[in-house]
Amino acid sequence: MAVMALGCSLAVQAQSRYALIGQSAPDFALHAAVGGNARLSEHRGEVVVLSFWSSRCTPCRTQLAVLNRSLATYHSAGLAMFGIGVDDDPAQAREFARSASVSFALLLDPAKGVSRSYQVDNLPMTVLIDRSGTVRNVLRDYSPEGEQFYLQQLRALLNE
Amino acid sequence: MLQMTRAMPPTDAAPRHAARAALLAPLLAGLLAALPPTALGAPPAGPDATTPAASAAPPGAAPAAEATPGAAPAAAAPPGAAPAAESSPDTRGLDEEIQGLKKDVVDLNKDLFILEEELLFPANTQVAVFLSLDVGQFFALDAVQLKLDQKEVINYLYTPREVDALLKGGVQRLYLGNLKVGAHELVAFFSGKGPNARAYKRGASLRFEKGVGAKYLELKIDDRQRKLQPEFEIKDWE
Repeated sequence: MAVMALGCSLAVQAQSRYALIGQSAPDFALHAAVGGNARLSEHRGEVVVLSFWSSRCTPCRTQLAVLNRSLATYHSAGLAMFGIGVDDDPAQAREFARSASVSFALLLDPAKGVSRSYQVDNLPMTVLIDRSGTVRNVLRDYSPEGEQFYLQQLRALLNE
Repeated sequence: MLQMTRAMPPTDAAPRHAARAALLAPLLAGLLAALPPTALGAPPAGPDATTPAASAAPPGAAPAAEATPGAAPAAAAPPGAAPAAESSPDTRGLDEEIQGLKKDVVDLNKDLFILEEELLFPANTQVAVFLSLDVGQFFALDAVQLKLDQKEVINYLYTPREVDALLKGGVQRLYLGNLKVGAHELVAFFSGKGPNARAYKRGASLRFEKGVGAKYLELKIDDRQRKLQPEFEIKDWE
């Protein structure tokens, strides 16, 4: 019973309204697992997708692959994408990043400052930011339906 | 609160802008949605009139205002081609009005920024730290940590674009703060890739005397060709 109650409460939490929607996306600068550092504010004018992941999260790998496909399609339309790893151990996150084979930067947030500012309460979690730097949508968990919803929202943002 | 005060238009300009807005209201609908009402010259209705202005002009409002002119010609274009040709002088006038309003908004933002700095960092307590990079053959900058009187004041991570800008001669204002008159110590830690692409971390420190006026310090990263090593220096601009 306790497990069911906990599961229900987590589901409710996952579906709860995201407080940052409509607000300016908190700026950050993070080290990348491979390559140079990245700063969000440098991508003002582009639609930015942030995906929070962890090396211990199995659906995160699927989610990152989906995002990578969408980046290949919409990159020329002004889409930027970052994966933000929340692992405590940067070495573990780097190993995951190397095996993920995605074309966008996978950033490391071991101190979890960025994760806290984006109120990450679920993994994977994807945040969509419009060209003016405002948080427009959030997707928690991964599902095929969620993928369709993500693509719809992304197209809408890119068309604005 | 600063924005509220500064967003108020000059009193003599208010009736002029209000008349324009009344004449061009249908065509300016898109612009009105994006710009702060006071910037368009809506006359202040009293002390409460500042509140909507503040809510309509948050710090992030500038990009939205900048994005509007792109949409304005589309909004100004009439449905048919023939009416467009007839009303072209009006459209041109409208474009000029829009450009004028856009310039007003930019000027207001500039004034606001200057006023904010003057209030937050008065000249008698102000201390500013700048960073410049010369050549960069022996050092690829990654991050700078700054400590003032043993207290960390900033830890800045550099992206490849920022490093490129510094290498092209840019000078970055890394820190702006307040310090009381007297003796102080600045310590800077530079981390990045040194010769042979190895992880490289060095520090530099400076004891300085803060007088009555503003204090400007510069962190300089140079290449020392003779030693094939980077050199880190803190310069006090008297």
